[in-house]
Amino acid sequence: MNDVALEGRLHPLAVLVIARRFVGLSMVPALVIFLSAGARVIVPAVLLALLVGVPLAILSWWRFRYRVGGGRLELHSGVVSRSVRTIPLERVRGIDVTEPFLHRLLGLVRVEVEAAAGGGESAELSLAAVSRAQADELREALLGSARAAEEEAAEPPPLYRASPRLLALGGITSLSYLLAPAAILGVAFNLADDLPGRFVERAAESAADRFPTDAVGLVVVGAAVAALVLVAAAAGSLLVDWDFTLRDEGERLLASRGLFTRRLVNLDRSRIRGVDVRDTLLRRPLRLAAVTAIAAGVRGRSGGTLLAPVIRAGGLPGLLRAVDPLAPDPGAPLAAHPPAARSRRFVRALALPLAGLAVALALGVWWGAAVALAAVALALLLGLDRYRQLGHAFDGRRLALREGSLRRRRTELDPDGAVSFELRTSPGQRRAGVATLTVHLGQGAGSRRALDLGEEQAAALLGDVRPELFGPLLPAG
Amino acid sequence: MILRDPAEALDPRVQRLWLVQNLLVAAFVALLVGAGAAIAVVAGSTTAAWLVGAVGGAVVLALVPLAVLAARLDYRHFRYEVMGLGLYVASGWLWRSHQVVPHARVQTVDTTAGPLLRAFGLVSVHVRTASAHGGTSIPGLPPDVADRLVEELARRAGIEEGT
Repeated sequence: MNDVALEGRLHPLAVLVIARRFVGLSMVPALVIFLSAGARVIVPAVLLALLVGVPLAILSWWRFRYRVGGGRLELHSGVVSRSVRTIPLERVRGIDVTEPFLHRLLGLVRVEVEAAAGGGESAELSLAAVSRAQADELREALLGSARAAEEEAAEPPPLYRASPRLLALGGITSLSYLLAPAAILGVAFNLADDLPGRFVERAAESAADRFPTDAVGLVVVGAAVAALVLVAAAAGSLLVDWDFTLRDEGERLLASRGLFTRRLVNLDRSRIRGVDVRDTLLRRPLRLAAVTAIAAGVRGRSGGTLLAPVIRAGGLPGLLRAVDPLAPDPGAPLAAHPPAARSRRFVRALALPLAGLAVALALGVWWGAAVALAAVALALLLGLDRYRQLGHAFDGRRLALREGSLRRRRTELDPDGAVSFELRTSPGQRRAGVATLTVHLGQGAGSRRALDLGEEQAAALLGDVRPELFGPLLPAG
Repeated sequence: MILRDPAEALDPRVQRLWLVQNLLVAAFVALLVGAGAAIAVVAGSTTAAWLVGAVGGAVVLALVPLAVLAARLDYRHFRYEVMGLGLYVASGWLWRSHQVVPHARVQTVDTTAGPLLRAFGLVSVHVRTASAHGGTSIPGLPPDVADRLVEELARRAGIEEGT
């Protein structure tokens, strides 16, 4: 099969997308020029940028071609120096189709082809903007069988689909979405130091001047801020994960999501090493969790392996089994770690608040001591819960590990997929008779650990998980 | 002790190599202390210079016996063994690690010898898996032992010899 199966250019409107990228690159310098030199310099600067940028964008569109055939994908590009990138089709691991906002207005999509490079790394080839039909053709040419699945008249129901209500609930119970406004404020204040003109400082000062001092005013402001944070968290979740749908396409899972920028992500089943079920202290009472796949060869792109942003506990076993038929029940009990692990959690949680308490007492700051005392009480609860969440289980095929309290994670993984096993002990752990087992999963899938296993537990677990490997190393009997 | 220790030790010469490395670190710290004191003198504060010199000097003096001790203990606690199904490596004396890399997961086995290693007539063997953290290395073996090790690991991993 040496004939060319597919050949093409980016969509003509891609020029706009490429040009926009130039604009994006020159945005910061332009802003700096504008703020420091004013409008007299900015107009010629913009004209110059257009004069150079637009022909450059047109030229780079003209020079960019893709070609699928002879068992490989070729990308020809380059304005000044030409380059040809060639990837054998069997190296293609997946295709991401995204629709950034500008693309959606133009009816285009961005296609990213992910391929295995040498040494277990991965390379990514990007086609900045093609039409939807082109993207479908590419997907078919590169991944083959996808068309058959699409043409089936009755599409099977998705493995998972997020309702807006569930997403909003997920947003207001997600620590990252709740903390996002604080992070944005932090960035704003950081920028404030660099920007001339002291805009942010002045705004903050005027806000501080008008800050109410009476009780009613404080309650009103507090409620308004809380409401704003909740609305922002819900909106953030809805924006990113709108209509999140996970479909089973046989050898692949296909996830699509997003309100303005719609992302389509392919995930090869053969690359999945396990599944993480995560929740937060806020989600636990509502029995909500997020599910991510632990996948090899997927680079750390955000959400590349997300299977469900928010899911109710009732739907969890079904989803896990659809991804991994051997997945154990996510509610199955886990073996607890020894009491020494509890003491170690307490020591870790209490160190900082106790130090704060000592300092406050030494300085005679009584309100500080009261705050520190409250922190000590919270730390005790946190330490206790961190210990209670520690657990592991092996059912003969899948290893289950759990840790964390504020952010809790339960992992189910196939130990046969591990690239190495490591047992680590610190001096403190040896004194307490515990050890940490780390399972390295390889190819960017990271590692998972069982924290503070008892010594006999660790020996038994290693002997169960890989008897042929660890049998000779364990004491007889 | 959960797992028994691996059988083989490194070449004893590696102790002197690590001693040199540790002393180089101590020398670098001494250099920093000297520079700090010099800056303080130039800035016109002799008291600060004395303070930096005294504290820094004490740290450097403490680093020297630590360098000797660490080299010996690192050597004593580094052991390795080629088992039927995997490479078993134990290392570290404060933070101990026992790692098993199954042969089937090994992608490449190679040797390196930097200038310092070469000065002591030693080579390092690196075992890489398809992971940034899952691999391991065995620093400080005589060249003939290293060659045999590489050959055996490559054979067990089913890797064609490339060089």
